[in-house]
Amino acid sequence: MPDLSERLASCFAAVFPDLAAEDIATASVESVDGWDSLAAVTLLALVEEEFDTEFPLNVVADLSSFDHFRTLLQGTREFVGGPP
Amino acid sequence: MVLRSARQGTVAPALDDAVSGSSSVVSPQHPGTSAPMKLAEAMRLARMPFPDGAAVTRTFLACGFTPLHLQTFLLAHLRLVAPETNVTVDSGLYGDVVGNVDAAAGGGYEAVAVVVEWADLDPRLGLRAVGGWRIADVADALESARLRGADLVAAVRRMAPGRSVAVCLPTLPLAPVSHSPGWQGGDVELRLRTLVSDLAVLLADDVGVRVVSPSRLDAASPPGDRLDVRGEVHAGFPYRLPHAAVLADLLARLLASPTPKKGLITDLDDTLWRGLVGEVGPAGLSWDLDHGTHVHALYQQMLAALADTGVLLAVATRNDPMMVEPALKCADLLVPPDVFFPIEVHWGAKSDSVRRILQTWNVAADSVVFVDDSPMDVAEVAAAHPGIDGVVFPTNDEDAAFALLSWLRDQFGKDRVSVTDGLRLESLRQSVSLGRDAAASGGTTDEFLARLGAELVVARVRDTADTRPYDLVNKTNQFNLNGRRWSEAAWHGYVDTPNSIVLVAEYRDRYGPLGKIGVLGGRRDGRTFRLHTWVMSCRAFSRRIEHGCLAALFIDLRCDEVVFDYAATARNGPFRDFMTSLLGTEPFPGCRLTRGRFDEICPPLFHVRKDVADA
Repeated sequence: MPDLSERLASCFAAVFPDLAAEDIATASVESVDGWDSLAAVTLLALVEEEFDTEFPLNVVADLSSFDHFRTLLQGTREFVGGPP
Repeated sequence: MVLRSARQGTVAPALDDAVSGSSSVVSPQHPGTSAPMKLAEAMRLARMPFPDGAAVTRTFLACGFTPLHLQTFLLAHLRLVAPETNVTVDSGLYGDVVGNVDAAAGGGYEAVAVVVEWADLDPRLGLRAVGGWRIADVADALESARLRGADLVAAVRRMAPGRSVAVCLPTLPLAPVSHSPGWQGGDVELRLRTLVSDLAVLLADDVGVRVVSPSRLDAASPPGDRLDVRGEVHAGFPYRLPHAAVLADLLARLLASPTPKKGLITDLDDTLWRGLVGEVGPAGLSWDLDHGTHVHALYQQMLAALADTGVLLAVATRNDPMMVEPALKCADLLVPPDVFFPIEVHWGAKSDSVRRILQTWNVAADSVVFVDDSPMDVAEVAAAHPGIDGVVFPTNDEDAAFALLSWLRDQFGKDRVSVTDGLRLESLRQSVSLGRDAAASGGTTDEFLARLGAELVVARVRDTADTRPYDLVNKTNQFNLNGRRWSEAAWHGYVDTPNSIVLVAEYRDRYGPLGKIGVLGGRRDGRTFRLHTWVMSCRAFSRRIEHGCLAALFIDLRCDEVVFDYAATARNGPFRDFMTSLLGTEPFPGCRLTRGRFDEICPPLFHVRKDVADA
């Protein structure tokens, strides 16, 4: 099974199909042209679906980079005792 | 052979599977037992390249909320149900579903999905407005909803003509606007539900659009799991993803209106009835509550209902003919025995029976369902007839039998039943009688046809309210000029274009009427007629009706030449053979037939042609 970063990267690739694979790990609101509010909502829905989770409202606004998503997901996994 | 589940409810097969048409043993499931499409899968499908040269179908999603993922799911499901089409889905402005319906009317869209939620009837019934839930506010909201509903019906009525339209009325739980506790059906909720039911009836019966089935939606998307409060409040999108996926699935099916199956072949013992007639005799068979065999009565009832809508029914059983005949004549059988044609009773392979039945019907295997209690027989038939859907009758499982009945309704369901549907079985019997009489007459084919007293009416189509020509061009495969399928909007536009000439052929002879069995569409340029579409029902073969149609163009319309927009398809071999007989060579795109060649090659025609002059 792909690890967390790979699964997260597939979500980013689905929302930003023009983003080069090597740029996904450093993707952020600032670096990705198409990261507008619509893309943000779609990305959030896609990541929640992929990881079968729902992010708390107070952290959603901070999800502005690949790294933020990964950090939050790692925390969630650790909290519920799942694999990283 | 592929084992797959029935395409029903939320089942969403991969695109490759949807277009493969492979033979299958089907396991009908209760609606809603399959997982809804995932957003990631929808995005993948939505981005898949379209086939080269695919016809474009412009679809509009009219809703009052932010369309977001519903738009993505709708596009994905439309790709599944119409894989050969280049589909686009546009959407309108937030908060104005009626205005969006009007926008769709002016935008040249061929298909429109209208999705209404409570907030569209009055914002106070939703979560994003705070206009008040006090008793007086709610009473006012009820009246406002009634007026808004009337506006919506009027807008859909203006927009619907010439388009494929699907409407879904509120699916979400009501906000707690009523003064009564949530477990009580209070005045507000009951009145709103009555209002919505009345709107649905108006839209379906009076306006004539297709309405999403609330019961199918309930089965596939549990009502308590639909509302996403966070999404509604922060993004204006009120649906959880699974609900959006299910709703899009149903809307896509309504908009694309997949072609129903044409025929059902059934086994008898432990399928149409309980018991082996050869063992227990007709008197020992049962299909009732007392014997615990009621599922067979329900199955019989379903077959009778399908026959009423023009579905062809046949029997394939390994049995003694002497035993079967009296059993089929049992007075309390719920399906009249004369709806079965042909009836194949012998001890040979079921696949041989199915082959003969398909030949008699002149129907392809992929338009047919085979039902038998024996898994081995179902597998044997499915293997021998690629494309057929074989189903094992669940003799001892009432729940599975109910799922089968629902699945059958889905496979054969149509949103309207035409006069011609009622003629189908009788005209099939006539075709067989005609062939038998021709063989028995001992004379030439010409002599036989001359005695038929045939009357061929080739009339211009002027009224798009008659749906039969549209149905014919979209359902006929074998005698088909090029396999082109039309959207409702494209067809209506074509018929209404001043220089288009669309003709419908209707036939009867001494064996009875065949009804409207052929459609020709084209344009005249001087004395040349360019034929864009030409289809004829396979029930009309062997009567030289196809020659009669060409005679209508050459003689009655006084054309000197017909140009054919021919294209070979996987299934239009009979048309190709006919053209080859005329041209002396295989047809090709743009091939031409002159009046001189037609006169030279056309066999004697014995039809009395009528009604062509006004074209």
